[in-house]
Amino acid sequence: MNTFGQDIRYGFRMLWKSPGFTLVTVLALALGIGANTAIFSVVNTVLLRPLPYANGERIVFMGEWSQQVPGMSVSYPNFIDWRDQQQTMERIAAFRSANYVVTGGGEPERLDGRQVSAGFFEVLGVQPALGRNFTPEEDKPGATPVALISHGFWQRRLGGDPSIVNKQLQLSNESYTVVGVLPQTFEWQSPVDVFVPVGLGAGNPNMTERGNHPGMYVLGLLKPNVTVEQARTEIKAIAERLAVQYPDSNGGQSAVLDSLQARAVQDIRPALLLLLAAVGFVLLIACANVANLLLARAASRSKEIAIRTALGAGRLRIIRQLLTESLLLSLMGGALGLLFAMWGIDALLAALPENVPRLLVSGIGLNTPVLLFTLTVSVLTGLLFGLAPALQASKSNLNETLKDGGRTSAGVGRQRVRNVLVVAEVALSLLLLVSAGLLIKSFMRLQETELGFNSDNVLTLRVPLPEARYTQNGQVENFWDELMRRVRALPGVESAGLTRGLPMNGGIESGIMVEGQETTNPKDATVAVNLYADPGYFKAMDIKLVNGRFISEQDTKDSPLVVMVDEMFVSKFFPSADPVGKRLRIGGDRAPLRNIIGVFKHMKHYGPDEEDEGRVEIYTPYRQVPQEFFAASNRSLWLAVKTKGDPTSLAPAIRNEVLQIDKDQPISNISTMENIVAATVAPQKFATWLLAVFAATAMLLAAIGIYGVMAYSVTQRTHEIGIRMALGAGRRDVLRMVVSQGMKLAFIGVALGLAGAVLLTRLMSSLLYGVSATDPLTYGGVSVLLATVALLACLIPARKATRVDPMIALRYE
Amino acid sequence: MIRLRNIEKVYEQGVNKTYVLRRVDLDVREGEFVSIMGPSGAGKSTLLAILGLFDSAWTGEYHFWDAAVHRLGKKERAELHKSHIGFVFQSYHLLDHLTVYENLDVPLSYKDIKKAERQAMVADVLDRFQIVGKKDLYPNQLSGGQQQLVAVARAVISNPKLILADEPTGNLHSSQGREIMELFKRLNDEGTTIIQVTHSEQNAQFGHRVVQLADGWVVKE
Ligand SMILES: Nc1ncnc2c1ncn2[C@@H]1O[C@H](COP(=O)(O)OP(=O)(O)OP(=O)(O)O)[C@@H](O)[C@H]1O
Ligand SMILES: [Mg+2]
Repeated sequence: MNTFGQDIRYGFRMLWKSPGFTLVTVLALALGIGANTAIFSVVNTVLLRPLPYANGERIVFMGEWSQQVPGMSVSYPNFIDWRDQQQTMERIAAFRSANYVVTGGGEPERLDGRQVSAGFFEVLGVQPALGRNFTPEEDKPGATPVALISHGFWQRRLGGDPSIVNKQLQLSNESYTVVGVLPQTFEWQSPVDVFVPVGLGAGNPNMTERGNHPGMYVLGLLKPNVTVEQARTEIKAIAERLAVQYPDSNGGQSAVLDSLQARAVQDIRPALLLLLAAVGFVLLIACANVANLLLARAASRSKEIAIRTALGAGRLRIIRQLLTESLLLSLMGGALGLLFAMWGIDALLAALPENVPRLLVSGIGLNTPVLLFTLTVSVLTGLLFGLAPALQASKSNLNETLKDGGRTSAGVGRQRVRNVLVVAEVALSLLLLVSAGLLIKSFMRLQETELGFNSDNVLTLRVPLPEARYTQNGQVENFWDELMRRVRALPGVESAGLTRGLPMNGGIESGIMVEGQETTNPKDATVAVNLYADPGYFKAMDIKLVNGRFISEQDTKDSPLVVMVDEMFVSKFFPSADPVGKRLRIGGDRAPLRNIIGVFKHMKHYGPDEEDEGRVEIYTPYRQVPQEFFAASNRSLWLAVKTKGDPTSLAPAIRNEVLQIDKDQPISNISTMENIVAATVAPQKFATWLLAVFAATAMLLAAIGIYGVMAYSVTQRTHEIGIRMALGAGRRDVLRMVVSQGMKLAFIGVALGLAGAVLLTRLMSSLLYGVSATDPLTYGGVSVLLATVALLACLIPARKATRVDPMIALRYE
Repeated sequence: MIRLRNIEKVYEQGVNKTYVLRRVDLDVREGEFVSIMGPSGAGKSTLLAILGLFDSAWTGEYHFWDAAVHRLGKKERAELHKSHIGFVFQSYHLLDHLTVYENLDVPLSYKDIKKAERQAMVADVLDRFQIVGKKDLYPNQLSGGQQQLVAVARAVISNPKLILADEPTGNLHSSQGREIMELFKRLNDEGTTIIQVTHSEQNAQFGHRVVQLADGWVVKE
């Protein structure tokens, strides 16, 4: 212990004596460790930490499965059967989105709501801060309507009324009794204002029909000691039993089950793992740099070490002394790295895409696990970069060292280690550059994708008409007619349209049957994205007509039923014939036949990276929605408004027009088509730019590494260069000699890096779009880039070498 | 061929000025074989470095043929050296990590000579110096005398007009030393101008005349 303290004291003195070296080293390490700490804090919170619910680790997510729709929502009767039959879970609960308009006590406001079955909060392990959870009796048709409200809504809308429990709330013109307020810390995937029992509406046809999938999903709480796999096996078995029992509605169906955690992070996970690997590489490169600096220093300290050895220090003792120094360095780097990480985390959080569920992100910061990680990484780093130089230095032969200034075999060995380190640095940074290059290219591809519409200057918003006040089909249709008349008359509006669903967010999927090409089993019908719109929508979105005509004002509820299809439909059903004039049914063999009137260019309804196949899309006039569903389907349409200038500036005017028609009617989801498109590529953008930053850092570190090795080599070779110049070497000869020595290392590194990239970039193929993981252009481009940077890094020491005076050679006499 | 006038070389160390060469005048005609002698520290090596165009920090006039060296830039001096001068360093200065063969090839590699021709020239020199058997050895595998032999071989390999040799036989035993001197004599007979620094009267005998240096002054010609 005593000698250890001495080692530390002595180590500090050594570092203090060479402040330049210490500063550069600590900075490089701080950058590497800081980046790792920042990324790890995100990875730890998002990927490793159980969800912030009392039962976090035991919560599972369930959905139905069919060949065509692998992640289908669960029908209510199936849910009831699952609930009654399953044994692996303590309880299961369903939830679905439902939006409400709250009135009374201020302007009408559209609320994000969820309908949940009793037991939903028990599955999560959440107790209301005020009041109580739903009871099973409240989760039935005809029960007294009750609601649980979020802390945020309670504060915002209700002024935090402490006696809110048991008071009434007007939600979409129905009165609900508030039974509780959720804790402030409670968060669901996205902000939710109000929860109501799903069972209240369980008598509606969309819930009673086993074949209807009402956007409802199921959570379960695993019994202790039950694995996800066991629960999955069971729920699949139940679903497959139901498929046999109810072949008409459930034929061929099964179920999927996963931990809620895995489900929540599935989109962001590959990007985070890639970034974690990237910062790991950056740290390795930083380590290699520091090791090189230490090796150079060890050379100049070989005399000191030789003397220590002569005075009786054993090899272990010397290694320990040197390792103590490198550990001091890495711990200092770690401490400074924490500071960098604090800034880094702030920057990361700002850059994190908005569609990463907030409940995953809350709590990211320098907490205990992160601090432990940083400490571990710092110590490992110190050992990693300190070991090779320490071993090298302790090996140096006493006799040789005292005799000769360092141009000995030990010097050569050291140079070899330094060369190996530089090659490794170049290889690793090439790997990162290739990854970043591939991501950048995919991102550009994504942005260039033909979306099938023009998102420039399109304002989008939604007007959710409350069911209670808009019961009649005519009321709904009149509202839209009046609103569109007013909106089109607004100054600055070029065109405006209505639709059931905007691109990028998926859509309602229905089976279609083409006349003459019917499948024997209705279950095998092609699934199409079933869209309704008014004629103005095609203009506002600048949708391209390929053939036939668009839906027009003449297509009303009284005129012949029409449908538009996309090119994908055509290539599937009429690859060689004109589809216009042919007929199809939407949603079952009893549905009416519709005339195909036109073909439009396929639109990306599932985001710019939707698989090449995508889904067949069809448009019908919203006015031709069957009368029995008309009001239900058309109460909540989207507006797409093409404007002359900045689209968002028109939102207040449109809100005003809505209020003129109905003073209690809110508008919601105000955005622009551009923002909607941008949001879909946000995760890619996040990963791309971060990786680009890390790759650039890696390249810089590698360049510094090459520079360091070459600069050191040049000083080591000054004498030799002097002789060569005395023997007739010109500036060019010397330049070429030094540069080719450095570039040889760079090229070996590039070659190894390329080989590594071919092997490793395959792992990131899920993040790539429209570019192969072995894209030759990217590989070639980054190789040239890195080689150029390496060349520049060699040129500085090379130029210094050309300034060597041949007199050097003579002065050695 | 060489005309030095009033050459002075000073080392300044703080306020102290050390004169290493004082008002040196020296003429060497083409085809001469001159020996420079003098006690240690007299400035012999310094003078040779100036003659060899390595050193440029001096005052005075130096004409090398019709070139006024004192007015030439660094690059032109290097060019002049490269095309006319072969230099034998006092401590040989072989390159440690190159073999004997490669060491001999170094000066040729900086000239515009084809590879085949270079090979022939190296082979010729190896032969002439009887070191063919050593061609693949590294300098640290040679004795001091052998290293010196290689250093001399390297200086003459590209058939320079002027050979400057700083104690070329310092580490050779007398028979080897004589061989070098005889080689110089032969080269001199073929027209090569030679200026050597030597401590040995015997070696000086091979030359036409002796220049004595002491404390930077030419004391006797
Ligand atoms: N860089 C220098 N700074 C100061 N003085 C120097 C320097 N180089 C050489 N000298 C001095 O110049 C003087 C002449 O040195 P030089 O090497 O020319 O001597 P020399 O005649 O070749 O001696 P030797 O026979 O020992 O080789 C010496 O006194 C030496 O101390
Ligand atoms: Mg000398």
